[in-house]
Amino acid sequence: MAEIIGGIGTSHVPSIGAALDKGLRDSADWKPFFDGYEAGKQWMVEAEPDIAVVIFNDHGNTFFLDKVPTFAVGVAETYNPVDEGWGPRAIAPFEGAVDFSWHFVDKLVERHFDPLVCREIEVDHGLQVPMELFFGRPDRWPVRVLPIWVNTIQYPIPTPQRCWDMGTVLREAIESWPGNERVVILGTGGLSHQLQGARAGFINQAADRAWLDGIAANPEPIAP
Amino acid sequence: MPEQHFIPDTPLFDRAGSIRGYKINKMAMALGQPQNREAFKADEEAYLDRFGLAPEEKAAVMSRDWHEMVRLGGNLFFILKIAAVDPTPITQIGAAQASMSHDDFLYERLGKKRNG
Repeated sequence: MAEIIGGIGTSHVPSIGAALDKGLRDSADWKPFFDGYEAGKQWMVEAEPDIAVVIFNDHGNTFFLDKVPTFAVGVAETYNPVDEGWGPRAIAPFEGAVDFSWHFVDKLVERHFDPLVCREIEVDHGLQVPMELFFGRPDRWPVRVLPIWVNTIQYPIPTPQRCWDMGTVLREAIESWPGNERVVILGTGGLSHQLQGARAGFINQAADRAWLDGIAANPEPIAP
Repeated sequence: MPEQHFIPDTPLFDRAGSIRGYKINKMAMALGQPQNREAFKADEEAYLDRFGLAPEEKAAVMSRDWHEMVRLGGNLFFILKIAAVDPTPITQIGAAQASMSHDDFLYERLGKKRNG
């Protein structure tokens, strides 16, 4: 069976990628941020994963409001960076973990999930930035990917319970996969942050820390 | 849908907003394609007319009134593509919505360190 070697949570804000594009890695504003990722990057090198499962949300780049999947799963051979308005970024395309991805889709449906299954699709910064933070800017990524999109843009959005349940199916899929791949899971997205309105940029650090402590110490959801 | 719709100073992208803002967001989404960016730059009003925007929506876009675009149902994820064409930094949009100077926004909201 394949093996889960770890799970990592990270931000994926696009300005991180833009900073790398502009060569600002070691600038005064950005250096403390990127230095904070060095330990994780090193861990990743030593852990030698074969597959990265990247769970993220699209930001109105790949999906529009005309068709909004609650959960979408990629089974593509290749995922190119999508044009987010500035033109596609000059980073390597991502190779899909095709067979394993289909296996996950099979498991999901077997367990009564109804995902959108994507054979041809591009990925935005939600997947790109976490990959860059942990694998740098290689000409070829050292892992194949399984992208999972979670709707966060248009109501109704999936309940936390449903996301939890999908995670248990993901574990089942990995543990029942006959290959011996090493799988790392990247859970990506923001903690508190606000883009719209007069509180744009507002961050609630106390709530963020409480949430992180909660999911680390007591992740099992409380039964209703 | 959340039952509590009111959060101070926070225009929620709720169902009414999503329905109301459909055209403005569709127009902005299309700017993900280079030929549409060219059309937008060449004749902004004609480009907006292609998507059937109402006069108040057109006015909000053409004056880059981000607050008003959001009030009309614009979602930052989409309307940022307008900013990409200009280009306007996202921090500038944040500052405009917060009614702060760009510098104050960077320091007070984003934790930029003064003098360093």
